[in-house]
Amino acid sequence: MEHGTSVLFSIFGLRVSSYVTTMWGLMAVILLISYFATRNLKKVPGGAQNVMEYVIQVLIDFFEGIMGEKRAKQYLPILCTFFLLILLSNYSGILPMAGHLPGLAAPTSTISVTAGFAIVVFFCTHFFGIKEKGFGYFKHFLQPVAFLLPLMIIEELVRPLSLSLRLYGNIFGEEMVTAQLFQMAPFLVPLVMQALGLLMGLVQAFVFTLLTAVYLGGATADHH
Amino acid sequence: MHIDYHDLIWAIINFVVLLAILYKFLYGPLLKMMENRQNDIKSNISQAEEIRNEAETLRVQLTAELDKARKEAQEIIASATKIGEETKNSIITEAKNSAVKMTEKAQEEIQREKEQALADIRNEVASLAILAAGKVLGKAMTGEEHKKLVDKYIQEVGGIQ
Repeated sequence: MEHGTSVLFSIFGLRVSSYVTTMWGLMAVILLISYFATRNLKKVPGGAQNVMEYVIQVLIDFFEGIMGEKRAKQYLPILCTFFLLILLSNYSGILPMAGHLPGLAAPTSTISVTAGFAIVVFFCTHFFGIKEKGFGYFKHFLQPVAFLLPLMIIEELVRPLSLSLRLYGNIFGEEMVTAQLFQMAPFLVPLVMQALGLLMGLVQAFVFTLLTAVYLGGATADHH
Repeated sequence: MHIDYHDLIWAIINFVVLLAILYKFLYGPLLKMMENRQNDIKSNISQAEEIRNEAETLRVQLTAELDKARKEAQEIIASATKIGEETKNSIITEAKNSAVKMTEKAQEEIQREKEQALADIRNEVASLAILAAGKVLGKAMTGEEHKKLVDKYIQEVGGIQ
């Protein structure tokens, strides 16, 4: 796990670690898939377009139940981007030598990256809340009773903390367990943990996106 | 566990960049395409519904027309049958009437013939009577007087009959 934190080079004074290069690689993969999916858009979809439409439709259907059809479509880009980036980040930890090769480390296995994502969610939530409802948005901090305001503020601040810690903890922990098992019994045993890692990576990406949808839906909801 | 602010800032930058690119090249076109398709399907379905309704209306209309035509045909047949019956009856009635008339005429004829024959016989009888009387009397009776006498006799004979 040490290589992830080691600095490879820097751009404009920002140090680039293996987590960042891995993220770039994953972004390239996502962009490549998007390119093939939208290269030749057809009304009757096929191939990559079909797969991408399926993924998007599943996400829209899922978020519809949380925030309604209009908002699900409106905020889909944010939610879908989080989902794809986190899902692939989680899975990049399952790749052989992840965390040991310079330039390859699961981005979501460090609190720095997950905290970055959580901060984006935090600002997006309040930005869209104010954008949709104006200054009336702040009223919901005083409901149901005004003296709960400190508690409401703490709740808002805890959200990004829980988001980032949950994702980081799960992925980092999963990788640590796999690495320990690998040292104890290199054959077959780590495979069980890696298979579990496939499921966990999907679940954690889903949970992060789901909570983002809940926060966005709550901030932009029509009632109070 | 410590937070490396360089990684954190990179994570934010990466996310924003990816979101911007995907928004322009993936979500925008794909969502638009999906919405277009949805609208297309919706309009196709409503169109099909419309056509179906039209067909149903047409079907009802045609059925009604068919019923009407059938009824008319039955009416025509019924009226033709009635007319035929009436014609038949009138022909029969006429035939009966003319038969009765003919019978009456024939009877009249017979009556007339009979009377004629009787008159002829009477004349013959008169002539014979005169002839016989003349022979018996030995002298021929002539003239008006004679005829009157015979007629009177015949009248008397006719009265007896």
